Amino acid sequence: MPVQITMPRLSDTMQSGTIVRWNVKEGDSVASGDVVADVETDKATMEMPVYDDGVISKIMVAAGQQVPVGTPIAIIAVDGDDGQAVAVASSPASAQTSAAPAAAPNGQPVPHAPQPQPQRAHAVDSPSARVRVSPLARRMAEELGVSLDAIRGSGPGGRIVKQDILAAANRQPSAPAPTVLETRPLPAETALAYHAPLGAGSSEVTVSGMRQAIARRLVESKSTIPHYQVAMRVNMDPLLELRTMLNAQLEPQGVKLSVNDFIVRACALAMAAHPFFNASWAGDRIILHGDVNVGVAVSLPAERGGGLVVAVLQHANRKGLRDISTETRALAEKARTRGLGPEDMSGATFTISNLGMFGVDNFTAIINPPNSAILACGAAVEQPVVRNHQLVVGHEMQATLSLDHRVIDGAMAAEYLQTVKHNLENPATLLV
Amino acid sequence: MTATMREIEFRDAVREAMSEEMRRDTRVMLLGEEVAQYNGAYKVSRGMLDEFGPRRVIDTPISESGFAGMAIGAAMLGLRPIVEFMSWSFSLVAADPILNNAPKMLYMSGGQYGCPVVFRGNDGAGGQLGSTHSWAVEGLFSNVPGLKMVIPSNPADAKGLMKTAIRDDDPVFFLESERLLSLKGDVPEGEYLIPFGQARIARAGRDCTIVSFGRPVHFCLEAADALAREGVDCEVLDMRTIRPLDAAAIVRSVRRTGACVVVDQSWSFGSPGSEVAALVHRECFDDLDNHVHRVHSADVPAPYSYDLEQEYLPNTRRVCEAVRACLYRA
Repeated sequence: MPVQITMPRLSDTMQSGTIVRWNVKEGDSVASGDVVADVETDKATMEMPVYDDGVISKIMVAAGQQVPVGTPIAIIAVDGDDGQAVAVASSPASAQTSAAPAAAPNGQPVPHAPQPQPQRAHAVDSPSARVRVSPLARRMAEELGVSLDAIRGSGPGGRIVKQDILAAANRQPSAPAPTVLETRPLPAETALAYHAPLGAGSSEVTVSGMRQAIARRLVESKSTIPHYQVAMRVNMDPLLELRTMLNAQLEPQGVKLSVNDFIVRACALAMAAHPFFNASWAGDRIILHGDVNVGVAVSLPAERGGGLVVAVLQHANRKGLRDISTETRALAEKARTRGLGPEDMSGATFTISNLGMFGVDNFTAIINPPNSAILACGAAVEQPVVRNHQLVVGHEMQATLSLDHRVIDGAMAAEYLQTVKHNLENPATLLV
Repeated sequence: MTATMREIEFRDAVREAMSEEMRRDTRVMLLGEEVAQYNGAYKVSRGMLDEFGPRRVIDTPISESGFAGMAIGAAMLGLRPIVEFMSWSFSLVAADPILNNAPKMLYMSGGQYGCPVVFRGNDGAGGQLGSTHSWAVEGLFSNVPGLKMVIPSNPADAKGLMKTAIRDDDPVFFLESERLLSLKGDVPEGEYLIPFGQARIARAGRDCTIVSFGRPVHFCLEAADALAREGVDCEVLDMRTIRPLDAAAIVRSVRRTGACVVVDQSWSFGSPGSEVAALVHRECFDDLDNHVHRVHSADVPAPYSYDLEQEYLPNTRRVCEAVRACLYRA
């Protein structure tokens, strides 16, 4: 019987999952326990193992696609399966039945057309030819890029063990210098990970799902996106003056606008003239997004485990300062108390990270994929400045854009920053 | 521990812990066969009768069931007795009080009565004492929920763990070894306690984690020295207590080394060693290059013959063999 793999429920609140990456392709042999895919849930990216031995006969959901829990995503042909049964298993009708959540255990039986001569679609695997390999050796083989097929195991029953992998890795000729840049991201958990024994006084902190997700996404971003930065100083005096006035007059209505609220609106409005800053690189094309959904980085308090999340303010280009302020405050509060739901964290098209409230002058941020730009704002610092050929005291803020050079060139970045700077220095444009 | 050290015997460390706690808390008392007038069959309680008097250091008849039961009653009503079994082998006649009453008292009384009693004595082979007097009770007794089990391997741990045991509100089974009582070791001056459930890395290493407790820790360290000469770098974990068990320390270590050998002087069937193996197979499955290898006492009654007894018990050679096998070097 072919075994149908459905999108697993990997957390209590998980409604759907995204296949980040398939580790197997159709025709690959798998053994129970093999991690066949990485699945991103609302909380973290997790490894998805299979529980059967067989051959992946069909992959039904491509990497990058998001599907509800229970949706069939792949089929494993187990010993004795034939092509026809597999075809039945992948037909829409049976997919429909198993998509019902809670009623979709792996390995749901499907109608099986009798076939006198069971014939495997792929002859690469048979029970007798199963490769015996220790769990550690299997993992090391993946990490070192060693193929298990070529190794004769030295352990009992021909089991491939750690020393076999190390020997094979030593035998492998060092790879020729690649002519094409490898753009596959390094897995966050292996890149430069620390493996030495702990010294005296050292201790270990377990990596949370959130920290895993941060690590994976940022390693992916920094190692695949050609980042560069462009910075500009912004005269913040008019904005601070306006903000003081507005907050004083709107206090009875409970409105308290933050500097960041103005920045969100200034960036969102600037997109109309600079659509490539609200865009995503898609390999052979660039997606220009319609609405501007601004992600705001929110750091979490230690009692919630620390870390950070990006809260997303949907349609920021269509919202006034009052709404931006209220919604941002509500999202930050929710993030710090109850935690954000997936709907609060998805769909960002541009991101802002602001460390001004901590007194930071300037810094650079890592792009939040699939965005093509992120703005890092420092504090509006009171300092000697030159205005109209006069040395005076004023407030200036440094804004630093990190950009994906595949989408945005330096001159474009300068123009966008000019617009944002103009919006902030002439804050009436942000009001009406 | 940065305090000044002095070298004392294991038995003195245990006595210091008991005496300090008896000075600190008048509810603490010691009872058992020959603990008072004779200063203890193994001289652990030397001088304690003189200092604390016959109301707190009590010689009992040769009746384990009777005095263990009496201690449990005293503990239920507010005292904190320490019961010395000359040997844990003799505690078997007190199985009903120590296994059927003490660990279940809090539960069965709905929280009305606790049972803060420490049972202590020699465990494991003493050296040609014959099968009935050579019990290693860790496998048999650690199976029971509600009790704590401490198995120190050295004087410093024995003192810090005994003080914690006396202050603990649950029945504590404190397993000493006749073979370790004369062992000398550095013990800090001044008061210190060692919490339960906190393993000690007796030796750090990269290639294989050896999990042990009590007397076999010494064989593990000797084996690690021998294996180092073969280029095998072992990490030795001294669990100190097996209930509670510091599972996190084991998992952390095995995830680094990818190999685990458990050395436990109880019989293998249903033992702390099998529990550790199950834990490691569950928590470290993807990190293992081989299944957990275990060294236990042989699955027979303890022999009397010297040579057979040495071969029956976990020993340095058997630990070396297990580590080599686990690392596919056999």
